Amino acid sequence: EETFTWKVQSHWPGASSSYKDSLGRLKDVLEERTDGRLKLELYESGALFKPTETFNAVSRGILEMGTISPAYAQNKISLAGVASGLPLAFQTPAEAAYFHMNMGFEEMLREEAAEHNVYWATDKVYQTEMVVKEPIKSVEDLKKLKIRSSGALEKFLDEAGAATTYITGAELYSALDSGIVDGAHWGAAQGAYSMSLYEVAKYHVKPALNVAGTDVIIVSQKALDALPENMQATVKDALKEQFWVRTNEYEHKEKVTLQKAIAEEGVEINTLPQDVQDHMLEVAQKFWDEEAKTSDNAAKAVEMVKEYLKQLGRL
Amino acid sequence: MRALTAFMTGVTRLNNLLGRWFSYLVMVMFLLLITGVAFRYLLESPLSWTGELTQLLFGIYGLMAGGYLLSHNGHVNVDLVYSKFSRRTRAFLDLFTSILFFIFTLALFYFGVDMAWESFSGRETSNSAWNPPIWPVKAFIPAATLLLILQGIVKLLQDIAIAFNLSYYQPEPEPEELPEDHT
Amino acid sequence: MSIEVMTLLFFGSLLFFLVLGLPLAFVLGGVSVVFLYFTWGFDSFYLVASQIWSTMGSFTLVAIPLFVFMAMILERTGVARDLYRMMHLWFGGVRGGLAIGTLVICAIFAAMVGISGAAVVAMGTIALPAMLERGYDKKMVLGVINTGGGWGVLIPPSILMILYALITGVSVGKMFAAGILPGIMLMVLTSAYVLIRCYLQPHLAPDLPKEERGTWSEKFAALRSVVLPIMVVFMVLGSIIGGITTPTEAAAMGVLGALISAAVYRALNIELIKDASVRTFKLTGMIMWILFAAHAFSAAYQSMGAQPMIEGMIQSIPGGPWAVIIFMMLIVFLLGMVLDPVGIMLITLPVFTPIVASMGFDPIWFGILFVINMEIGYMTPPFGFNLFYLKGVVPPGITMGDIYRSVIPFVLIQIVGIGCLMVFPEIATYLPDLLF
Ligand code: NA
Ligand code: NA
Repeated sequence: EETFTWKVQSHWPGASSSYKDSLGRLKDVLEERTDGRLKLELYESGALFKPTETFNAVSRGILEMGTISPAYAQNKISLAGVASGLPLAFQTPAEAAYFHMNMGFEEMLREEAAEHNVYWATDKVYQTEMVVKEPIKSVEDLKKLKIRSSGALEKFLDEAGAATTYITGAELYSALDSGIVDGAHWGAAQGAYSMSLYEVAKYHVKPALNVAGTDVIIVSQKALDALPENMQATVKDALKEQFWVRTNEYEHKEKVTLQKAIAEEGVEINTLPQDVQDHMLEVAQKFWDEEAKTSDNAAKAVEMVKEYLKQLGRL
Repeated sequence: MRALTAFMTGVTRLNNLLGRWFSYLVMVMFLLLITGVAFRYLLESPLSWTGELTQLLFGIYGLMAGGYLLSHNGHVNVDLVYSKFSRRTRAFLDLFTSILFFIFTLALFYFGVDMAWESFSGRETSNSAWNPPIWPVKAFIPAATLLLILQGIVKLLQDIAIAFNLSYYQPEPEPEELPEDHT
Repeated sequence: MSIEVMTLLFFGSLLFFLVLGLPLAFVLGGVSVVFLYFTWGFDSFYLVASQIWSTMGSFTLVAIPLFVFMAMILERTGVARDLYRMMHLWFGGVRGGLAIGTLVICAIFAAMVGISGAAVVAMGTIALPAMLERGYDKKMVLGVINTGGGWGVLIPPSILMILYALITGVSVGKMFAAGILPGIMLMVLTSAYVLIRCYLQPHLAPDLPKEERGTWSEKFAALRSVVLPIMVVFMVLGSIIGGITTPTEAAAMGVLGALISAAVYRALNIELIKDASVRTFKLTGMIMWILFAAHAFSAAYQSMGAQPMIEGMIQSIPGGPWAVIIFMMLIVFLLGMVLDPVGIMLITLPVFTPIVASMGFDPIWFGILFVINMEIGYMTPPFGFNLFYLKGVVPPGITMGDIYRSVIPFVLIQIVGIGCLMVFPEIATYLPDLLF
């Protein structure tokens, strides 16, 4: 019987917990359920393609599979902006998961990706949270901050009054340490912990800047079609299951890691005062409306989010 | 034959002219970074675009050196054995190894065009807060590679002339080797 | 075809075309394309274009043209010449004194930058002619600059340490702290070698004749020449430590300092800028094209299955934990001869670190061993960035062969350094344990 080997380019470094927990898991599951007929060859972030090039490589069928952040595909996928997270929209992974899987957002993403011969499967939804050197106690504090940010959140934090700047991961630790920036976000607790950011910034800010499907597994349609039908179904089922397993597991590890940071590094939780949260939500809503203007699909998705938040009594 | 000579001088001149202009980008990068620091530190209002623009210019800067360097023999090689050969033998060797040069540069050109075209048709932007279009920068990959290929053809023609004693190209006299000092 | 055979063919063809004199960038690029075709098909050439795009986007590289530019300006203005005259007046009585002075400047440079090339270029343009003029042996001079330049990645800040921390998940701060003492140790070892060698063979680094050593007033007058270099160092180092700039932006501060120095020497004019720009362009472009191709090369090697091969080799090593560590160091040393450091780290670290941890070794300690080995890789032939930088700035009389031969004793010293760290791990672990 024919066996298949897929090259899989990750956007996580090998030390990142997601590399093993997401890709390592998927590899084992697929090998087991196909009796070893589908093998995944994993490559760390940047080994073959840099993260922003992975979508192109999968779309061309050079790579059979990859992991990305939706933002890396924003020029191809008009919903990428919403998928990367509307700031302050959802408060928990469960809310974001319901939006993706039960309200049809994942299906909308999948349709857009299919136009580029890519099968889109969100790996998990989770929060993005900030760490800062000094606690934020007022809107004034927020406006005095210099924050290392990236992508859409950079624009949002900018509009909320903070001064943002982009610094690469390689220089982030030193930049925080020497005070070039006062705060940064790199995932949430696990991300900050893995980058040693708690050594130099002791306040973990809540609530989350966003909760979103920030990690995505993409599969080349060409590679998928080349599999026998029962194996295609196995892959799709495994990916669907992956979302729930990983979302739950990640959320659990977030809590554990944050406790560890509190115990080991003396980290404190900085819950934003109500007036700061109100101010940010106001800016965020303008931001959602901007995002809605980018495409018909984006408009539809933003409308769905608003309806949902009304049901939850938050708008 | 005259057309050949004209082509060779033309390409070399073009690469030299472009090289001289693009070499000034280092001043631009310097000024951009200093401006960025000044705005962030002195005025407490970071500019989101200085760092990114510097990065984009840096990529172009590196790329555009390709053809210019080849015209100046500036791409470093290992001269351990190579420098012991006569000029004619070296020309034959260069003719042989140029296969690898053209395989690399042509593959790069083909997929560079592909990549730049894909970027252009999607009007690709950088996805940062500043969010500039990046297809013009990607377009420099095939453009710079083309300049390099042209200069490579010039080098090929030079090597053919030296190897087979043809008259369309007169190589400059060999620079005299500096005497070995005490070692 | 097995990956072992592929590896031999892959690196064999690299060496073959290198010896034939084809520039390195084209050898690396061409060999990658040929092997990609046979292992992965025509479409995989997209990887080559894509790797070039990635390299263009590497922010840490931006510091290179700026530091090179700084060095070119300083060299042309006469600041550097005066500095070496001062050093000669003061230390001329010591055989090899200028070489020691150069090593000290390299260490200061290393504390300012996180990359290796900057100091090599700066010292290659400034110190090399100054020492050759004074009758120093060229191999001694080349070796000193090669070694000292490499400390940029061992003495913090260091890009390789940050990359190591990112790949393995250890603390960046601890890595930085761990690098300080080994950096000092290597400086002492290298200086000791230079002093002993020059004492035994005075012709390698002649001392200044007594009558030329100058009077005390001349010596003190010459000290003025250190004011401007100290200002440049202060602008770079101060802006990093003071939280004003990132290490990359600090390179721009260095250029500013160099321009101010040029103005003080009344040498600041269009000709200077033009000349420095062109020389910077040539050197940076040369390195960039090598990097473009080198990144494609290591990605191609990855895609052929380098990682599982190394994993298999490690698992088959008899002789316990220390044998495994030494074997790992050997693999890194050998790869360091032919691959770029980033590629080596991406290939080997995911295999090495879990094994190192499971054998109970300190990952920080292992990281320092690894980084010193990377430093060696910068100067081992045939592929080493320090070698290429040097080749880019040396006068025409010095061949690649001279540069290759010059590194041998200095590589041995660094290996001795690794040995010391294996026997006394505390040299690396003392400071991080103390500070964190
Ligand atoms: Na350093
Ligand atoms: Na090397």
